[in-house]
Amino acid sequence: MTTTAERRPVVPSWPREKLLMGLSLREYLRSLATPFNAVAGLILLIGLPVIAYRFIFGLGAVTNLSQANPWGIWIGFDVLAGVALAAGGYVLAGTVYLFGLKEYRPVVRPAILTGFLGYFFVVVGLLVDLGQPWRLPYPIVFSYGVTSVMFEVAWCVLLYFTVLSLEFSPTVFEWLGWEKARRWASRITIGLVVSGVVLSILHQSSLGALFLMAPTKIHPLWYSPFIPLYFFVSSIIAGLSMVIVETGLSHRIFQDQLRGQAHADIGAITLGLGKAASVVLFSYFFMKLLGIADGGNWKLLNTPYGYWFLVELLGFILLPCFLFAHGARERSVKLVRAAAAMTVVGVVVNRLNISVIAFNWAGPERYVPSWMELTVTLTIVTLGLLTFRWIVNRMPVLREHPARRGAH
Amino acid sequence: MKVNRRAFLKMVGATSSAALMGGPAKARAGRRAPRSGETLAMLIDTTRCIGCRSCEMACNKANGLPTPERLGQPSVFDARRATRPDAFTVVNRYADPKNGRKPAFVKSQCMHCVEPACASACPVAALEKTPEGPVVYNAERCMGCRYCMVACPFGIPKYEYEKAVPYVRKCSFCFGRVRQGQLPACASACPMKAITVGKRGELLEIAKTRIYQTPGRYVRHIYGEHEAGGTGVMYLSAVPFAQLGFPADLGTESHAQLTSASLAAVPFILTLGPPFLLAIHAFAKDRAEAAQQGSKERGGAS
Amino acid sequence: MTAHDFLAMYPAKAEEYFIALSFLLLFIPFWRFVNGTRAAEARAEDARLASPAADWFAVPDHLYFHPGHAWARLEDGNLVTVGMDDFSHKLMGRVSAVGLPEVGAHLLQGEKGWSLAQDSKSVDMLSPVDGTVVAVNERAMSSPATLSSDPYGEGWLLQVRVPRLKANSASLLTGNFARRWMEEVCQELGGRISPDLGLLSQDGGLPVEGMARSIDPSNWDQVAGKFLLT
Repeated sequence: MTTTAERRPVVPSWPREKLLMGLSLREYLRSLATPFNAVAGLILLIGLPVIAYRFIFGLGAVTNLSQANPWGIWIGFDVLAGVALAAGGYVLAGTVYLFGLKEYRPVVRPAILTGFLGYFFVVVGLLVDLGQPWRLPYPIVFSYGVTSVMFEVAWCVLLYFTVLSLEFSPTVFEWLGWEKARRWASRITIGLVVSGVVLSILHQSSLGALFLMAPTKIHPLWYSPFIPLYFFVSSIIAGLSMVIVETGLSHRIFQDQLRGQAHADIGAITLGLGKAASVVLFSYFFMKLLGIADGGNWKLLNTPYGYWFLVELLGFILLPCFLFAHGARERSVKLVRAAAAMTVVGVVVNRLNISVIAFNWAGPERYVPSWMELTVTLTIVTLGLLTFRWIVNRMPVLREHPARRGAH
Repeated sequence: MKVNRRAFLKMVGATSSAALMGGPAKARAGRRAPRSGETLAMLIDTTRCIGCRSCEMACNKANGLPTPERLGQPSVFDARRATRPDAFTVVNRYADPKNGRKPAFVKSQCMHCVEPACASACPVAALEKTPEGPVVYNAERCMGCRYCMVACPFGIPKYEYEKAVPYVRKCSFCFGRVRQGQLPACASACPMKAITVGKRGELLEIAKTRIYQTPGRYVRHIYGEHEAGGTGVMYLSAVPFAQLGFPADLGTESHAQLTSASLAAVPFILTLGPPFLLAIHAFAKDRAEAAQQGSKERGGAS
Repeated sequence: MTAHDFLAMYPAKAEEYFIALSFLLLFIPFWRFVNGTRAAEARAEDARLASPAADWFAVPDHLYFHPGHAWARLEDGNLVTVGMDDFSHKLMGRVSAVGLPEVGAHLLQGEKGWSLAQDSKSVDMLSPVDGTVVAVNERAMSSPATLSSDPYGEGWLLQVRVPRLKANSASLLTGNFARRWMEEVCQELGGRISPDLGLLSQDGGLPVEGMARSIDPSNWDQVAGKFLLT
């Protein structure tokens, strides 16, 4: 009934407290022996050498890219889906700071962190995909292709990543205890949020606009002059869903952080986000119908690609819309979370459709990712998760910093 | 010397606009696009081509590429060939449905479009439409994003996937030679005068003249006159172009125009966005303060 | 892109306007569906009204509360009186036995302090402080049912000598913070209670068998454990 643990006297030091979470090095290393870490370690063990191999021997040795299929899953998934799923940052920041819905404040920091890490690892994915990755800064500092949508994307992403870093900086400053810096960073929040939303509108839609250049290569059901609008609206959907999913997982995985802390009603937040997602999905569904009408493509629905389009439209847009609606209505957090997971998959499917599956659909040689491409993608995702966990375990993302408790 | 306010502003205005006009040495934006009739172009008359592939040999030699494969062997035409990183132009053979004995030979290479999709797409302007006409590749700018390959409706840019430092490779219209007053290597080498080089407007006249003067010989269409906004390399043929592997669904609008609306919207979103969002913020703050005021008045929980 | 041809545009435009109009018309019932009907809204409102408010549970000013619902009162010297708060009493309802540590036992803040048993199941509660037990409330052990009437006075459980009082109290909630915490706990509780369960007894009080039992009769110990953080 009683516990009598003996605590050895501990010498506090900055690295020990900040980096090792107060454990000794030996204790920390021992705490790393978990099944998740074993799997992650295995993935990195295979994936990091593959990445090195790609840089030494070139894209041809590692990917199934070809002259007819210049973009594969590193663009389709790592870049396009990655940017869409990182949209929770601007959506939640806008919700809390611009629309003034303070009840969503507990999920703003995790959303911004997801955005920050999302864009960071999108750039990592880009570095792996570019033929000459050391020239990544060229559109910024060397040669300006102003007629190109991709030029605009490059600038917007750079600026937005800066905004995200600054939006996340108060958390870092709190962790480091740099109060003055934190105060400064908090003061510019509104400006950052406004910039973030504007920049996000621009680059989320522009990533779609990239594909306007390929009307003869993308299947007519997916090609539309409205692709930029679709990408922007689906980024909102993706952001909301990703925040729901990430919140649900974090509250299970990191629940020891929330013990003893004043913890907000995550259920109400989830339901509210789910309701928003259902409304946006509803509009998005009709926008897609408008696109079909505009292109005069109704007959194409009765073809193999048409059936696949219907899977995306009905299974990944209309169905989650109603699951979200039903979940919000019946106050079922579980149902909303399931709908969110389905929607996340749906956004990935949509991005892959436009860039890989419906791209060059009529061509003789179709692209299938190589195992090495899949490994690299998995490695990048794993690195992202590990970084997320490292930060959440140390910095006041899910919990309030003890010094600032009650200081709202 | 007394300078009054108006004169000062005029001076500032004049000097700054003059400074802007000077601009960077490669003021692409400031240059006026030359009318497409005046640019250098190429007319390929496939009815004159005999498939000798001298053009391939000359091109590879002029560009330092390896000798074309299977020279002198008709078997090379059994399979359709595309251009490659080490083959900027290839000749393919197609059957003529009207004349089984005489096949059609078609030379493919970069079309040097009037409004090239690749140059429009390139984020670092590595691919550039020169005022002279040819679309050239500036290797020192390219970062390997391969967007040009996505954009080109003819699938011309080819990538050196097998290299550790890869580049995009395609026909350059022998731009170096052309600037020195020479013809492109392929045009010089052709023994049948199938390739004519000249001003685009003049070439269109020549092509139309050929069609009118020998109506049975040609299909009544000059491929590249309007396709995708018009190309620098145009074709005459006895066989309908769709049967010769030419993309038939290109429309007459250049692909570069397809993104102009999206790009034009960017500055407007940048100017309208922030005030609109700040207005929402002000409105929401106002409502929150009013609600708080209301609850305080009602003696809300301390 | 044939629909952009002039003549083909007419039917396409007709379709588009039809779709847009359908959207506008369908949006109204959809919005109502998402928000729930009047009956559902009323049920939700009732739940909010019926859910326990912070002022249902006493949160005295001068006490220090641990988020696991234990309280500590500073006495002279390093002595601290420890007990369980009003909320945890009402959560548990009638307690059949309290398993307290012996005098001389060491307690650690945030670790198990004592246990509460009801029928065959028991739930632990966390200790609010680090220290050594110097006194135990015998009445708590012999007749636990009497504790709930005065949880902060006669219902004390332990007296503990706490060497690092200042450090311990930094992690405890008091005053306004404690009241805000209790409000949030009530919101959490309110989320789990449905008015159909008839939580309110005739006199507006709470059922004898405890709120945890009302929420989940067969797994009340798990429900209680969630609130007590054990």
